[in-house]
Amino acid sequence: MTGTTTLAARPPAVGSPPRATVRGPRGRRLLYWTATHAIAIAMAIMFLAPLVFMFLTAVMSANQTLTGALWPSSWHWENFGKALTTDDGVMLRWLLNTLVYAVLATVFMLISSVPVAYALARFRFRGRKTAFVLVITTMMLPPQVTIVPMYIVWARFHLTGTLWPLIIPMLFGDAFSIFLLRQFLVTIPREYADAARVDGCGEVRTMLRVILPMARPAIAAVALFQFFYAWNDYFGPLIYTKPQTWTLAVGLSTFRAAHHVEWNLTMAATLLTVLPVIIVFFLAQRVFIQGVTLTGVKG
Amino acid sequence: MAAVLTAGPATVVATRARRRHRIRVLAFMSPWLIGFSFFFAYPLAATVYFSFFRYNLFQLRPVGLTNYRFLFKDPYAWTAIKNTLWLVVVMVPSRVLFGLGLAQLLAKIKRGGNLLRAIFYLPFLIPPVAATVAFVFVVNPGTGPINGIAAKIGIHLPDWFNDPAWTKPGLTLLALWGIGDVMIILLAALLDVPKTLYEAAAIDGANAWQQFRRITLPTISPVLMFSVVTGVIQTLQYFTQAMVAANASQGNADQAGTTTAPGYPDGASLTFPQTLYNEGFQQFNMGYACVLALVLFAVAMVFTLILLRRFHAFGDDD
Amino acid sequence: MFRRHRRLVTALTATLLATACTAGGGGSPADSGPKAEAPQTIEVWHGWSAPHEVKAFDDAVAGFRRLHPNITVKLVKGQDDTKILNAVRGGNPPDVVSSFSTNNVGQFCSSGALQDLTPFLQKDNVDLGIFPQAVQTYTQYKGARCTLPLLADDYALYTNKALMKGEQPPKTISELTALAKKLTVRNPDGSIKVAGFLPSDTYYEHVPEHIAPSFGVTWLNAQGRANFASDPGFTKYLRWQKSLLDWYGYDNVKKFVHSMGQEFEASNPFEKGKVAMAVDGEWRVKFLQQEAPKVQYATTPVPVNDDRQTTYGGGFVTGTVIGIPRGARHPQASWEFVKYMTTNTDALVTFANGLGNVPSTIPALSSPKLTLPPQFQTFLDVFKNPNSTTIPSTVNGGDFIVKFQSFVQDQWEPGKVSDLHQGLTKLDTQVDNALKLAGG
Repeated sequence: MTGTTTLAARPPAVGSPPRATVRGPRGRRLLYWTATHAIAIAMAIMFLAPLVFMFLTAVMSANQTLTGALWPSSWHWENFGKALTTDDGVMLRWLLNTLVYAVLATVFMLISSVPVAYALARFRFRGRKTAFVLVITTMMLPPQVTIVPMYIVWARFHLTGTLWPLIIPMLFGDAFSIFLLRQFLVTIPREYADAARVDGCGEVRTMLRVILPMARPAIAAVALFQFFYAWNDYFGPLIYTKPQTWTLAVGLSTFRAAHHVEWNLTMAATLLTVLPVIIVFFLAQRVFIQGVTLTGVKG
Repeated sequence: MAAVLTAGPATVVATRARRRHRIRVLAFMSPWLIGFSFFFAYPLAATVYFSFFRYNLFQLRPVGLTNYRFLFKDPYAWTAIKNTLWLVVVMVPSRVLFGLGLAQLLAKIKRGGNLLRAIFYLPFLIPPVAATVAFVFVVNPGTGPINGIAAKIGIHLPDWFNDPAWTKPGLTLLALWGIGDVMIILLAALLDVPKTLYEAAAIDGANAWQQFRRITLPTISPVLMFSVVTGVIQTLQYFTQAMVAANASQGNADQAGTTTAPGYPDGASLTFPQTLYNEGFQQFNMGYACVLALVLFAVAMVFTLILLRRFHAFGDDD
Repeated sequence: MFRRHRRLVTALTATLLATACTAGGGGSPADSGPKAEAPQTIEVWHGWSAPHEVKAFDDAVAGFRRLHPNITVKLVKGQDDTKILNAVRGGNPPDVVSSFSTNNVGQFCSSGALQDLTPFLQKDNVDLGIFPQAVQTYTQYKGARCTLPLLADDYALYTNKALMKGEQPPKTISELTALAKKLTVRNPDGSIKVAGFLPSDTYYEHVPEHIAPSFGVTWLNAQGRANFASDPGFTKYLRWQKSLLDWYGYDNVKKFVHSMGQEFEASNPFEKGKVAMAVDGEWRVKFLQQEAPKVQYATTPVPVNDDRQTTYGGGFVTGTVIGIPRGARHPQASWEFVKYMTTNTDALVTFANGLGNVPSTIPALSSPKLTLPPQFQTFLDVFKNPNSTTIPSTVNGGDFIVKFQSFVQDQWEPGKVSDLHQGLTKLDTQVDNALKLAGG
């Protein structure tokens, strides 16, 4: 970190005598504490409100959703079932497609990205720096930049209309995952790997047996990020898929148009898309937050 | 990429060991080498190539600079550039400031801090399509509950996603809801500021603002910088929310067979990647879409370079 | 050094070219693919989605299924032009596609997205004379016949008898304007309770292509370029439209449009009795029968501008088109399907009855088996009227309509245009630029 300045190095602040004469320091602290917590709680309510409204709307009758009402006059739990079974259960198909995309993309990404990150973090070779810079560059550039020629290539192989154009590239390393894994791997002291090598382990075995188990939190983080990326991805499936291969994201975006004023069904479908995310998040909160921190701070 | 294949410093190393090292590096790096060439270098070169053609996937005709010239005559592209610029100038700083505010708040709170952190982070994870559809409904005048509450306390809220003037502010609000990523990064940075600095300042009689101004800000400024730059890069790709918000709020206007102009209402939600999508995959002016892709590439590259300067220390340790 | 580079560049270019030229695969002549007699499954995409519409198509296909038991027909509903084009360009198209609008026929035919049907037509000696002239025109582009008509649509004025309060349906624009004001009922705050006639482009079918023809507009000039500034018809249409809109108040109309129901559901404001007069397609007859059987209504041709009274009786004509995508896997069976659906009188009449659409062949138009309500007669008459018009085909489909509509909706109606002529001139340039970009 650069630019760290301690106040001690500066002339002491002048002209601000302690004003805590009327109310003692404890009173002020209490006031401060109350204010902070009040704001935090108000904020939390605002952050949760859309989700709550989403839920309340999902269990309303179709007519009631158009009235701007807050509370359901009657509870229609069957809306969730309706959302799932409407149009011959098309949502279940979207769910299946999304799972295929997310699971395969995650597995492929791990197989291909871990060795690359390992090499970038552990091996010394010329061009390593260039390679790492290129990894960061590809990670940063918008996916739209290369979409036109990629579409043409996949069309040539007759793979447009399927999920493969989104899955196959994951076999060849994902820049963000490589970057994040590498950032973690460089923090593992070299001595561990050296010790393994003394024990006669080859490089592959050192990676699999010694380093990777230590990198478990980072691997879990990239796997989760990849899974969520695929789950949430809209642009990719929008370009490549057709109605039979739509994912939840694309399908959901058409749901509103297909069901017009039936906001209750749209909200039920939306909530069903969100639910797995919320569950996974609360199960794996630590992994997420550590992962995000890793992307920004360790620099 | 020849550089990668050459071994390390020319010391007296046995040729066999060097070759083995080379093969090992190559083996570990191979997925990325192939991926980079086929899914990045090649399409980038092809984008340049196709930008000189009129191509609708059926017929390929060289047209010289026509596609480039059209860029200056294309009203959609300019609307999109203006909108994207608006988002960069307003949405990015708002997110960083709001994220910083929330992070400060969380840093102060001891009990219940974990729960609050989870609540603030959660919306970031909600699939953007779902978040947008829900948000459009919630703030929808007439039917949305927020509008109902506001009307009861006498506030007249705008017609967010149906009013050209309020569409982008509406999208900004949506982006503030999904503040999670920025907030967590800044929170980590805030917690990293050494406590001793604050203690020293408190002894010197510095008030809260002075402490923030003189200690917090300088210490976390690299992270703030990171958030701003990545924020800009993300905003350059801003697509999903704008497109879904337009579709969801337009709602009653769509009918199979008829197409409407992009960026409902009145082009207010048209972002740059959306024009690219529209030209390339709705109109199938693929040559022109390549020109738009190159513009996006050039702008994104500038910000990527800024970011790279921050990372340049990484590869140096050999 | 330089030579080596050049070789590299050549190699790269060659690779790129190879990629570029093979996308989509070649076109298929009339005798490729499996024979029509072979057992096979064909996938047919269409745009209908309402239950009675989907059923009507299924019923019309029944005859084909009996005739060709070896061909299994898989119908996929709710498809639009974007999805069709995407599927064709991706090289993975269905066997038969149908599109609701003729707007994109130019694009379909000129790009080769749909196959030229001429070899098929010649092989089976199909007489094109069974299709009315206007229909023959809008199903081809510059001599490339890549679609055939599958029923037709045209537009007329629906009037709600109860809300008309004994008034006769208007025949001219000034009569329409006077009645629109007279029949409008407002709430105390000035907002609209019952609208006489909503002139806004945002009211479902009141888009320029359906209303502007009453002012005698020509969409493209002889050179195929935009004509908005030079054709006075557009200015007349826009000035009339805006003055009536302002009488209602733009915000009132906007509010009304946002709160009205869904066009193709029982919540439709005409069916609900919230609108006295509306221009709509012939399918509304069937919808009214299904969704609002109690509404008493009449149909008459769309009123014409006062200086064009001799042209009264015509209207905007368009239709659903059907074709075979490039790269379809079973072209022989697809052709049998297209031929049957577009030329078989029984199939067309069954379909027209079920859907409430206008049949698209002359024998079917005069078939005694047509069993539609009396209000439907207006649409048959409009369809045959020589003053009826359609919109021209271009290489970039209905782009000029989309741009004009967006101009009307986003600029003109809210009052953002200070100089109309200047605005239309700018629009012309934009339309022409886009046409040139697409190679028009």
